[in-house]
Amino acid sequence: MSNFKKILQKLFSGLGLFVTTFFVFFPILWLSLTAFKQAKDAYSTSLFFDPTFQNYINIFSNPNNFGYLLLNSVIVAVITIIIAIPVASLAAYALSRFHYKVKNVLMIWLLSTQFIPPVVIVIPYFVLFRTLHLMDTRIALVLMNLSFVLPFATWMIKGFVDGLSITLEEAAFVEGCSFLQVITKITIPLAMPGIITTSIFILIQSWNEYLFALILTRNNAVTMTVGLNSLVTDRGVIWEQMSAAGILIMVPIFIFSFLVRKHFTQGLTLGAVK
Amino acid sequence: MNSVIYHGPKKWFILAPALFILAAMTIYPVVNIFIVSFQDWNLLKSPEPKGWIGFDNYLRAFQDPDFWNSVGVTFIFTIISVTLSIIIAIAIALQLYPKGIYRTLLKACLIFPYAISPALKGYTWRFMLNPHYGVIDKIIGWFIPPLQDAVFLGTKAGALFWLAYTEIWGWAPFMALIFIGALDMIHPDVFSAAKIDGVNRVQMFRFIKLPLILPVLLMVTLLKTIFSVKIFDQVLTLTNGGPGQATETINFFIYKNGFKFFEMGYASAQSILLILLMVVFAAFYIKTVMKGGVDA
Repeated sequence: MSNFKKILQKLFSGLGLFVTTFFVFFPILWLSLTAFKQAKDAYSTSLFFDPTFQNYINIFSNPNNFGYLLLNSVIVAVITIIIAIPVASLAAYALSRFHYKVKNVLMIWLLSTQFIPPVVIVIPYFVLFRTLHLMDTRIALVLMNLSFVLPFATWMIKGFVDGLSITLEEAAFVEGCSFLQVITKITIPLAMPGIITTSIFILIQSWNEYLFALILTRNNAVTMTVGLNSLVTDRGVIWEQMSAAGILIMVPIFIFSFLVRKHFTQGLTLGAVK
Repeated sequence: MNSVIYHGPKKWFILAPALFILAAMTIYPVVNIFIVSFQDWNLLKSPEPKGWIGFDNYLRAFQDPDFWNSVGVTFIFTIISVTLSIIIAIAIALQLYPKGIYRTLLKACLIFPYAISPALKGYTWRFMLNPHYGVIDKIIGWFIPPLQDAVFLGTKAGALFWLAYTEIWGWAPFMALIFIGALDMIHPDVFSAAKIDGVNRVQMFRFIKLPLILPVLLMVTLLKTIFSVKIFDQVLTLTNGGPGQATETINFFIYKNGFKFFEMGYASAQSILLILLMVVFAAFYIKTVMKGGVDA
């Protein structure tokens, strides 16, 4: 291969990498820059500006109170995890270890939840929560989040339990361990890495959830994603504060998704792609 | 793996909580909206359904040009976003597949756009596409000066394209990761052997890489299609269905009828129609997954 051709090839692959990097990260970079701009700089495309933390101070104070919305997002995500993980772990163990005549039906049922759009599920619950006076409560959001989180968590944890050898459980059973002891003392500790990974996925999905919170909350249970809407005002969108709030939503998710990046593709395709 | 260590009622006992929640989140809502879809019910007018009206809600949907508009919008949106995200994903995968420090770093960060809340994605692009101070407008203006102050979200085609683009931005890198995984599964000897036989780059892709990742490609296409049909968050935050009704997808249309006009009966009928559509995709998807998935 001639030298010229080699240089040309290097140039091309360099350009390709630049375009890819730009395509993937530019919006994130731009949002991050804007989050530290003063109002007057946010509405220009200049790269040079006096950085400020004022936007963060503004979104945490009246009338936006993102501190409270942050609290709501955290509480909803944590309670969703606390309910979903034990329920999903038990179901995953059962589906992995026991024989059911209707096992295929159960598995298809789990998968089918992915095909009922959230806007459909929320219609009857909207009516129900109104009658039960559960509108604008965190518990309503947790219940709705379970609709997409639980099947997903069960499927994922089942994948991890399937990978564990059964010999240890059998030995413990022979030694006289009770059925629940086998699960809690042997299987769960061994499947812990998988359970933690699943918890992080639940956290990400619950944190990013928008539709349910949009429909079911007004003031008390508003989460951060829906809080973004309050920055769209009569006088236009306050973009520098929107960006600051965006950073607040984005950065924790980046950290968590980075932690589970090895399972990322498998997790979010419900194990369809390994 | 099936165990014989325990056969008894307890195996149903530990499955029960999950089944209960699952029933509450699938059977209850679907049966409920199925019943309501045959009833006359506007929540603003009465807290209870007003009475049975047979198939009127369904007939109304079939005669409603706005409903057909939403079907068309969803269809075009799905075609654009699925096609472009697959092409871009393959391009990214082919570039990042070779080893290297920068490439490895880039690969590790490819999940970020996907991990961002879809609602935030919509707002981010709405900001960058603003005709007065949007950075994307400016960049496009450098290359194509007449488009400098174009109001991209103000035209029907523009709004629909950029709506699809926000989705492509999130999905293409994520899909690229799946493709890279699939390429990594191919033994490197295959590529060396082909090289020795004098296969060029284009042939290498067309006759070796593409056929080998095809099963994964088809699976991802199906998955992406399902997610495209379900699109909602970005519609609201990027275009709010506009201009006019140019970006009203089916999910957005149901949302509008159900939670802006509170036409519970009508929204339920549309939901049933949407579910019927999803069942077709679901059948294909479930078939693949139940077979044990596709190795990437």
